Amino acid sequence: MLGELEQVVMLAVLRVGDEAYGVPIRSEIEREGGRELTLATVYKTLGRLEDKGLVTSYEGDPTPQRGGRRKRFYDVTPAGKRALKQSVGALRRMAAGLDLGWET
Amino acid sequence: MSRDARTPPALALLLLRTMLPASQAEAFIGDLLETFAANCATPGDARRARWRFWRETLVALVTVRPRRLGVTTQLATGDSVMRTFFGDLLHGARLLRRAPAFTALAVLTLGLGIGATTAIYSVAAPTLLHAVPYPQPDQLVTVWERDAEGGKSNLGWLTFVDFARSTRTLERTAATGSWEVTLSGDGNPERVQGSRVSWTYFRVLGVHPALGRDFLASEDEPGNNSVVMLSHGLWQRRYAGDSSIVGRAIQIDGAPYTVAGVLPASFEDVISTQSRIWRVLGYGPSLSYACRSCRHLRVIGRVKPNTTLAQANAELDGISATLEKEYPSEYPQSGTFVVPLQQQVTGAVRPVVFALLGAVALVLLIACANVANLQLARAMRRSDEFAVRAALGASRARLAGQLLAEGLLLALLGGVAGIVVAWLAVPALATRLPDDFPRLASVTLDLGALGATATVTLVVGVLIGLVPVWHAGRGNLGAALRSGSRQAGPSRLVARAGLVVTEVALALMLLAGAGLLSRSLLRLLSVDPGIDATSVLTMQIQATGRAYATDAAVFANHDRVRDAVRALPGVEAVGTVNQLPLGGNTDMYGVRALDKPLANPELAPSADRYVVSPDFMRTLRIPILHGRGITEADVRDSAAKVVVVSAALAQKIWGTADVIGKQVQVGENSTPWRTVVGVAGNVRHHGLDQDRTLQLYVPERQWLFADDAVALVVRTHGDPSLLAPAVRRAVQSVDPAQPIVRLESMQGVIADSTAQRRLALLLFGAFALIAATLAAAGIYGVLSGMVAERTREIGVRSALGATPRDILRLVLSRGATLAAIGLVVGLLGALALGRFLQALLFAVSPADPLTLGIVVALLGFIALVACIIPARRAVCVDPMTALRAD
Repeated sequence: MLGELEQVVMLAVLRVGDEAYGVPIRSEIEREGGRELTLATVYKTLGRLEDKGLVTSYEGDPTPQRGGRRKRFYDVTPAGKRALKQSVGALRRMAAGLDLGWET
Repeated sequence: MSRDARTPPALALLLLRTMLPASQAEAFIGDLLETFAANCATPGDARRARWRFWRETLVALVTVRPRRLGVTTQLATGDSVMRTFFGDLLHGARLLRRAPAFTALAVLTLGLGIGATTAIYSVAAPTLLHAVPYPQPDQLVTVWERDAEGGKSNLGWLTFVDFARSTRTLERTAATGSWEVTLSGDGNPERVQGSRVSWTYFRVLGVHPALGRDFLASEDEPGNNSVVMLSHGLWQRRYAGDSSIVGRAIQIDGAPYTVAGVLPASFEDVISTQSRIWRVLGYGPSLSYACRSCRHLRVIGRVKPNTTLAQANAELDGISATLEKEYPSEYPQSGTFVVPLQQQVTGAVRPVVFALLGAVALVLLIACANVANLQLARAMRRSDEFAVRAALGASRARLAGQLLAEGLLLALLGGVAGIVVAWLAVPALATRLPDDFPRLASVTLDLGALGATATVTLVVGVLIGLVPVWHAGRGNLGAALRSGSRQAGPSRLVARAGLVVTEVALALMLLAGAGLLSRSLLRLLSVDPGIDATSVLTMQIQATGRAYATDAAVFANHDRVRDAVRALPGVEAVGTVNQLPLGGNTDMYGVRALDKPLANPELAPSADRYVVSPDFMRTLRIPILHGRGITEADVRDSAAKVVVVSAALAQKIWGTADVIGKQVQVGENSTPWRTVVGVAGNVRHHGLDQDRTLQLYVPERQWLFADDAVALVVRTHGDPSLLAPAVRRAVQSVDPAQPIVRLESMQGVIADSTAQRRLALLLFGAFALIAATLAAAGIYGVLSGMVAERTREIGVRSALGATPRDILRLVLSRGATLAAIGLVVGLLGALALGRFLQALLFAVSPADPLTLGIVVALLGFIALVACIIPARRAVCVDPMTALRAD
């Protein structure tokens, strides 16, 4: 079972798509998830997911805008997608049929 | 918005680069920079962006790093020593965080000790170790003549020339005299301290101008010597660092002087620390003030390599003897002193600096003892933990490693606190040092001192780590585990008691020093200076520029200034004098009596010269003991030449105070004879601790020349400082270009003359306070530890019928024993160290029984107070609770 923060970060990585690195991942969480995380928290979570084999990362090319520093791009692995599906699915099933005053 | 705010915080970046694992740093920092740039897009947000950058950095440092290290800790068993040690450090950090009171106390104690040591060392290092910041400083010497009393005397120019010509042991020599000038043109007129130096001066020191050229031999002649050298600071400040100044003429005292060059920024004139401008001496044999007995030049020289000081001194003694034979009436006796420049420069402050270094070393010792004590007490409380860990298989080395790591961590934190303390203390100290303190300009946080402190810190860390290890090693772990008692072995108590005794002893030594110094200062301040300094405002004024080319114009200016100030409401009396009592000037002239002829006129006593306006003595309330003072009638041009002498001078020359009507000659034997018309009270001109009080008072217009710079003294009704602005306006209403400097109350002038003692007392007092507090904390710690350990015993005792008084005696006698041993040891130490303070004491013996008695009583009282809380706790032990506890 995934932690809540792990789910949010993985969903954000999937939503951003090809160009998923630190900055857009965080702003996606801020925009859609409505919560402000520090970059360090995002990286820490990504690191944990990578250790578990749920996301992979690779280094991009150096870009002049960032003082010549390379970006690290993240992608969700098939195992990650499975875990996410399981996690979110479980939540959905648990919530289904309950009248909590919101649509599922 | 400044450009500065748009750049990301450099320190944060540095922290990130060094602290983050390399695998993550690049992408993470890149992301941060990108965010920062986006946040900075609107100008007003730059500050917020920086703030957010810092927040991100701090969060990253605390979250990202430990996760990585967490892995290391898990791997620790069986891993490399360094990794284990790193894990121990982390574990230690956690433990320290869990005991914030202990940590704060230990870090604060270490910080104070280390910081104070670094700060004092920073002040001492340039003074004592690098007093002479020139190449081959060991070769530099000062040369003096022997005066009538066998003391050191400056040289007259002709003597200097003879020495310079004849010497074979000195490579080069130079002479220097003081010079105070007013710069005009290029902005407001300004008083600047300077020196007149022979052309060889900077060559002797081994200093080359950073800009322009050095003085030339051809310039060191009368009429050819309107050439100056500027200090780097003066050049930057007044002439805006304009390099075209070289070769240009600047206005000095209303006349043009050519600037030969500018000295390097690093140059400090240790012979005349206040000098900012140097003029080539330009003396010649025909000048009246170049004579052999016109002893006002300081002479320096560079000893040839492979020549000893003694050889140089012997040679100069020989030259001096030849001169004395040739001109017997010009020298009181033959003989010279050749003193290393280093010793000459630091001589006056050496005692203070050494005393302070000693005192601060004591403080550091106490701080270490205290932290060791704290650590020991903590180790006692944790003996269960060690026992359990040992039982579970932790090797002794492993336990030692952990304690060592904790000790090092504490020392590290203490070191950081110490750097902060030193960083705050050094500038505060520098501003309190007297202006003439050697190498004051170079007093900064000393890197060498920081290094030394870091070493001390490491040693301390190892020691305070090892103290509990040593004890853990000796205890029977199994027994400790079984009994569950918190009772400590006797050796441990002995160690703690030893530390407390040490602290009390060291604190007593410091308190005794502070006590002796404060008694000295009190004695000194109760010395009658011979003047009434209350409600007197003083300042130096100067008639400067071409308008004052004649003496008459200078006198007229001084008259108008006095009239303008006298007219102010709130002014009681006004006077002028060429030099202020206790103002730090030395302006002395030989006095010869007509009825006491001397075979050698050089043996005549020299007296402080006070050239005064009629109201001066009344303004400072210098009493007239016989005859009359200087009056208005004496300053008329036609007046008969008169003089008033101090009682000490009358006694010295005639052996009686009945000297009215005697004739004296002041200075050169060509000067007119003057009639003594009065005898005045003695004034302590050279310092409250100097009883040399030979003085003479001459009416203003009767001296050989006009002193263009004079001190204005104003007696006011009420607080003199309130009147300062009005007096300043009145002076400048006479001549707006007239510079006013050294505006101060007369009491301030007297206080300044004791600045060095005040500083020593202030620091000693502060150190003693810290020491006494730490010692009290130590006694408290040991006693409350003892009460906690013996709760059960105390409970049994009271159950068996011991009265509260018996319990109280039990605890207090223990505390009293510790304090008493400490006091005795400290007293012996204070007596032994007292002689090092001798040079700073005034009218107080280093073994002054009253002072020592008071500090012993004071520290005893503090120790008693520290005993009271643990003692109360012991009395309140409920026997039933105590017995049931285990």
